[in-house]
Amino acid sequence: MAGPFVFRRALVAFVVVALVTAASALAAETPRKGGILRIGNLGEPPALDPHWTTASITETLTNHIYEGLYSLDREKKPIPMLAEGHTVSRDGLTYTFKLRQGITFHNGKEMTSEDVVASLSRWGKQSIYGKALFAQVADFKAVDKYTVEMKLKEKSAIVLVSLAVPNNFGAIYPKEIAEKFPPQVKVTEYIGTGPYKLAEWKPDQYIRMVRFAEYKSRNEKPNGYGGGKTAYVDEIRWVPVPEVATRVAQVETGELDFADDLNLDAFDRLKRNPAVRPIVSKPYYWLVAVFNKKEGLMTNQKLRQAWQAALDIEPIMKNVAGGKTEFYRMDSSLAPVEITTWHTKIQGLPWNERNTEKAKRLLQEAGYKKEPVRFLATQEYKWMYDFALLTKQQLEDVGFNIDLQVVDWATLVKRRNNPKEYDAFTTGMGAFYDPTHHIYLTASWPGWTTDEDIARVQAELARETDHKKRVALWEKQTRQFYEKVPVIRYGDLFGLRAARHTVKDFDEGNERIRFFNVWLEK
Amino acid sequence: MAPYLLRRVLAVIPVMAVVVTIVFLLIHLIPGDPVSVMLGPDATPAQIQGTRQALGLDRPLYEQLLAFYARVLRGDLGHSYFLDRPVTRALAERAEPTIVLMLSALLVAVVIGVPSGIVAAAHRGSPWDRGLMLVSLLGVCVPGFWLSLNFIYFFAVRLRWLPAAGYASVLTDPVGALTYMVLPAVSLGFNQSALIARISRSCMLEVLQQDYIRTARAKGLSPRVVTYVHGFRNALVPVVAVIGITTAILIGGAVVTEIVFNIPGLGRLIISAILRRDYPVVQGVVLVTAAAYVFINLVVDVLYAFIDPRIRYD
Repeated sequence: MAGPFVFRRALVAFVVVALVTAASALAAETPRKGGILRIGNLGEPPALDPHWTTASITETLTNHIYEGLYSLDREKKPIPMLAEGHTVSRDGLTYTFKLRQGITFHNGKEMTSEDVVASLSRWGKQSIYGKALFAQVADFKAVDKYTVEMKLKEKSAIVLVSLAVPNNFGAIYPKEIAEKFPPQVKVTEYIGTGPYKLAEWKPDQYIRMVRFAEYKSRNEKPNGYGGGKTAYVDEIRWVPVPEVATRVAQVETGELDFADDLNLDAFDRLKRNPAVRPIVSKPYYWLVAVFNKKEGLMTNQKLRQAWQAALDIEPIMKNVAGGKTEFYRMDSSLAPVEITTWHTKIQGLPWNERNTEKAKRLLQEAGYKKEPVRFLATQEYKWMYDFALLTKQQLEDVGFNIDLQVVDWATLVKRRNNPKEYDAFTTGMGAFYDPTHHIYLTASWPGWTTDEDIARVQAELARETDHKKRVALWEKQTRQFYEKVPVIRYGDLFGLRAARHTVKDFDEGNERIRFFNVWLEK
Repeated sequence: MAPYLLRRVLAVIPVMAVVVTIVFLLIHLIPGDPVSVMLGPDATPAQIQGTRQALGLDRPLYEQLLAFYARVLRGDLGHSYFLDRPVTRALAERAEPTIVLMLSALLVAVVIGVPSGIVAAAHRGSPWDRGLMLVSLLGVCVPGFWLSLNFIYFFAVRLRWLPAAGYASVLTDPVGALTYMVLPAVSLGFNQSALIARISRSCMLEVLQQDYIRTARAKGLSPRVVTYVHGFRNALVPVVAVIGITTAILIGGAVVTEIVFNIPGLGRLIISAILRRDYPVVQGVVLVTAAAYVFINLVVDVLYAFIDPRIRYD
């Protein structure tokens, strides 16, 4: 008799323990409101006006305060945000956007079509994406309180994606603010519709954002940069911590909940800390040497091709990534793997050729006579210096004479605008969400890609609305890129960030950090 | 004394005029552009040009210099491009952390440096002397950032005794301010104590060899009284000079400590302003720092007269 009785009691005990464990696990993973989320980042934003600057720190911060008509989903495709949806006329020239109703700004005013027209008109005069879009716009006006209409001069493929990009984006401000600040002057009154509102900005100490209680979320689930947004934490406190070793220490001690932009050599130390989760951020940048195609030596295409042929990219990437294979990727596609729509897998491209004979032959054909090639780099971003230094070594092995000029970042970004001052410079390319947004393929960005064939395909890509045809055009453009070599595409470098385990539901799939939908287990 | 003070104060005016002009020219002549930094890496030359015009940076340099002189004479140091506030306000906000750090580090430096120098001199050639001078040699040699990072690692990350970095105002949170200030004050003060210790030692050694010290000893005074009462007072003038120099260095020179410990002071402000080419802020910080140097030198000179009655400025 004792046997089955004991067994039954044991079974009941087991079920009770299992239920309690499951319930507590469920409770632990149920999002809850409250707490202050402290995030350590590199420094101060130059502005909290996303129309005005392309700085990535401005992008990160302002996407919590402001919203645009569209956003990007997990696959980096446009999805509605402040827009309810849109229709396109049969001739493809008129876009009519229906706005969501009952959306209020942080100052309590309702968002209407007047605000949208004023904001996007300002954005269209300052932002690189806004300017590109508004170059195609014939008329943009409010139809009624919740409807706006955009008439185009010709068919365009870039309307929605331009309205959806998170950088230098078409944030909607109240009309009064959009009209008060001319496009060249940064906004200093920060009123948006986002889930957090700016509470306090103490330069070099913190930027405090608090939950916007009247925020009206979309009904969809969170999806990439868009979808439903919930402000779980009471306050997001962005703390500029310029010294990276201090950021690492502070996330370890718990003074910070999250630290961004960390040195890759902190990875092993963070992995050993049981309270912290290191996060590899993909994509970060693909490394790039941009040529001056307006003046000087590198206007010679054969010389650019020689540079491309000479490179052995893997050792360069490995060195830049501190020897850690987790932090780089060898890929020739101009769009990273994460941007699935535009990632290409074209075989046989002259990328990472390691062909010294070809490089030497091209140097000869170019008529190169060991003239110094002025290559601008900076030590302010260690990876830029590292890959420039290794590039110099490899190029000099095939006969280049590289004059590596190491300057601070402010000097580099000034000098790269003057075609008389350099032949090539280092930088990184972040994610571009449409083929027409690849700035190094345009004539308006330093390096000045004025090649007619490239420009023609760019123009076709901007006009063509059929997706399959656009993909084909993009593959054609990629082949053109490796033939004309406007810049050198190295490998993908990844970044490192770290979160304490108490930070829950952080979306690691986004290139830039976002903290709506994130909650604290404390 | 009063005419001397007046002369010194008036002498400040040409000094400041020269400083203002040199700083203006230096910061504008080095390459780099605030607008390119502010507008981000993807900005086009056309965008940059538009914003340069909006900020008046496209005007000739002499026009900008004259406008700057006119503003300074009115007590207006300009408007920060990045911080969206007048430079005077930015400076006022950063003054408290820098002054608190300076005073705490100075306290640590003096508390370590002066007694070490005296003890080393009083026991010249002994293990005490050698030990203390070795430590002070380390203080001179060890880079400030290395010491600071190690302090953070051991006392904040490993032992969890103190916060790794940050700042709390002494006016609103004195206890918090103290906990935040211990590590930066000790690391900065230790570095600065080395010079004070070595100068104190050599001054004391010089004084302790004087005839009047021998007389004091011959009178039967205790070694302690001879060293501290008769010796130290007379060794004080050069020590005060070094403390004055240290104070001036700490005002503008605590840059590394402020960055590593994330203290929002003047040092951190000027570094970020230089990197971003925020011209008005760089000019403002240098102007204030130069004025502080001049003022501290004046105070030190006046102190000499109180310490050593033989010094007269009439």
